[in-house]
Amino acid sequence: MIRLDNVRKVYPTRLGKKLVLDGISFELRKGERLGVLGRNGAGKSTMVRLISGAERPSSGTVERSMSVSWPLAFGGAFQYALTGQDNVKFISRIYGQDVEHNLAFVQEFAELGPYLREPVRTYSSGMRARLAFAISMIIEFDCFLIDEIASVGDARFHARCNYELFEKRGDRAMVIISHDATYIRDHCNRYAVLEQGKLSFFDAFDESYEFFSQSIGLATSTVGLPVRATGRAEALSALYHLAIADERFRVHVQQGDWARDSHDWGKAAAEYGKALRLHPYERTYWAQLGHVLREQDHDTTAEICYRSACALGQPALDLQPFLAFVQARAYPDAPEVPIRSLERGATHAQPPSYPDLCILIRAIWGVAGIATDEAGRLLRAHATLDDLLAAILDDPRAQAGSPAPPDGSAAASLFDDSALFVVDAIWLQRLCYIAMPDFDTGTFDMSALAEDWPICLFNLIENHNGFEGWPKSSPKMAEFIRHARARLAVAVHESAHG
Amino acid sequence: MATRMEQSASFAGSLKVQLRVLRALFMREALTRYGRHNIGFLWLFVEPMTFTLGVTALWTATKAVHGSDLPIVAFALTGYSSVLLWRNMPGRCIGALWANLSLLYHRNIKVLDIFIARLLLEFGGATISFAVLSVIFIAIGWLDPPLNLLEVVGGWMIIAWFGSSLAILLGALSHENEIVDKLWHPASYLIFPLSGSAFMVDALPKLAQDVVLWIPMVHGVEIVREGYFGARARAHYDLAYVLPFCLALSGLALMQVRQVAARVVPE
Repeated sequence: MIRLDNVRKVYPTRLGKKLVLDGISFELRKGERLGVLGRNGAGKSTMVRLISGAERPSSGTVERSMSVSWPLAFGGAFQYALTGQDNVKFISRIYGQDVEHNLAFVQEFAELGPYLREPVRTYSSGMRARLAFAISMIIEFDCFLIDEIASVGDARFHARCNYELFEKRGDRAMVIISHDATYIRDHCNRYAVLEQGKLSFFDAFDESYEFFSQSIGLATSTVGLPVRATGRAEALSALYHLAIADERFRVHVQQGDWARDSHDWGKAAAEYGKALRLHPYERTYWAQLGHVLREQDHDTTAEICYRSACALGQPALDLQPFLAFVQARAYPDAPEVPIRSLERGATHAQPPSYPDLCILIRAIWGVAGIATDEAGRLLRAHATLDDLLAAILDDPRAQAGSPAPPDGSAAASLFDDSALFVVDAIWLQRLCYIAMPDFDTGTFDMSALAEDWPICLFNLIENHNGFEGWPKSSPKMAEFIRHARARLAVAVHESAHG
Repeated sequence: MATRMEQSASFAGSLKVQLRVLRALFMREALTRYGRHNIGFLWLFVEPMTFTLGVTALWTATKAVHGSDLPIVAFALTGYSSVLLWRNMPGRCIGALWANLSLLYHRNIKVLDIFIARLLLEFGGATISFAVLSVIFIAIGWLDPPLNLLEVVGGWMIIAWFGSSLAILLGALSHENEIVDKLWHPASYLIFPLSGSAFMVDALPKLAQDVVLWIPMVHGVEIVREGYFGARARAHYDLAYVLPFCLALSGLALMQVRQVAARVVPE
């Protein structure tokens, strides 16, 4: 049994003491597999180190009446200058075991072949993972600590690891921490969430995951982190990484994936939609959303998703067959419009995506949403952002567009509340990504655009070269600004004298 | 499948674990440092031997003044071997913990073990180098056999004791203070000329003798030379000073290790 009693861990930092674990108490018996969910930096790895005995608690006690492994599949214990074989020998000597026997096991399990006699430095990351896991299996512990094992190796290796761990050693105690909630759901029988230094226990996975999701929802937003980019392809790549680093995003796509795997297409679409509302420029889940919408025969919306995914950088080759399929079903009589891919080059020459469309009509028409049919038509008809913007400016709604913020009574659209794409606090920043070729949130002061709408749009275009050099739309934009200014002046005059 | 880990806490059991861990760390350290290429493990003492030979050649060529009638080869061999012993030990222990943090995941490996493994290797290298060169020089007649071998060993062990305690203290301090690493290099060069390797205490004026005898290595080198050359060396040393000094230094070093071990965070 392992017993933690009121364990606290405090780290000294430059900014004073940081409390990482605040009174953790639990007992773990043989056969119990505890899965721990928690955000990045919540202290999961610290807790594992305390349980393993590699580190000591600041106060409280850790009692072990069974042997406890080091964190599994952990490659750090290698000496990279040494060969795999030397590392196996080292571990065998440390734990007083038969070297030859262990070498034979590692040889068979890690499948490194002649590489076992080469320095670990020369291994690929997959080979390192296999060696690390094989070495971990040498010693028979009563309790295994498993830290992020799911993130390494290929599917076949996973299957063998799972067999070694959960079939052959299913009677042992385990503590599993992972970013991959699926892994914890499938392999644990007790669940806990580490949040704010406290560990909360749950009997069922769903309860723990719900608690975990809520704790992430409360976390401070990371959407507006500084991103420096020159050109659209680079900006999209930066925004993509921002998205996958955001745990709220990951929670939604995780739940979407689970729903998809159990063919609950409606829930999957809703979760992917929530994720994309946080990060509309993340490309891969536009494709996933397209797939689940296709399964529900929502062909027009699926088409929008596929086009957006591709416009944001997903490989066209993967999506073309799906696009052709939904397009043929949605518009059987119309000629097929091919998919268009993102390329390196000027922003205005790139294909438009659905979030671009929402943001541009928000700026020009002053509306928060757009009907699905019309959105699909616009994305199909216009090959570049420049074409699209010119069409939006030519539309009568650009002239009638109210210079006041949108009232939210927009037309029905792709999602029930797709208005969230544009009315949240950072829609203007997203407009800057489209309008300015070298946009850097680190140095660009958003307040330079002035807070009021539509003055901010005027400033963006007149003082910060927004949409400059877009062949078709730049002249139209200048004219639009002139008219909008005039309308604004009239409105101000009327309100002053009315 | 492999055997279960034993958990006995008896002294004999613990000693077994301790020796096993030290042996594994020692082999790992040796392999990492010298590898299996060209002459491999031989570098352990070939490296310090080339140092000593080089210095011996230099001092012979420049006819270095050392203030005694001892042959210059004998003087250089005893002097420079001692330097290598006490100077390389701290060099190997400073920063050793950072390089081996991941090892602490294995519960039986303690901070002190990492230092001891490196010190054993360093001690082995310096000692073999000293012994091999002595045998060679004696064989070709450049050097007479030591008059009192046990005294040579005793002096050598005192230098090693001092070097090890200093190394462990600095090694433990360096884990949380980078400045230790920065200061040790200049310090080791500055102490070298004062360490008794390049002079005989007897040749110094009385005032200077009193000053250099505060430096613990000087005592060790003097004892080694007395063991080699007997009364000809006219050695000056004081066991009542150097032994308590080393004891106190060891105590300080172990206290520092204990403090670091309580705070160290394995990566």
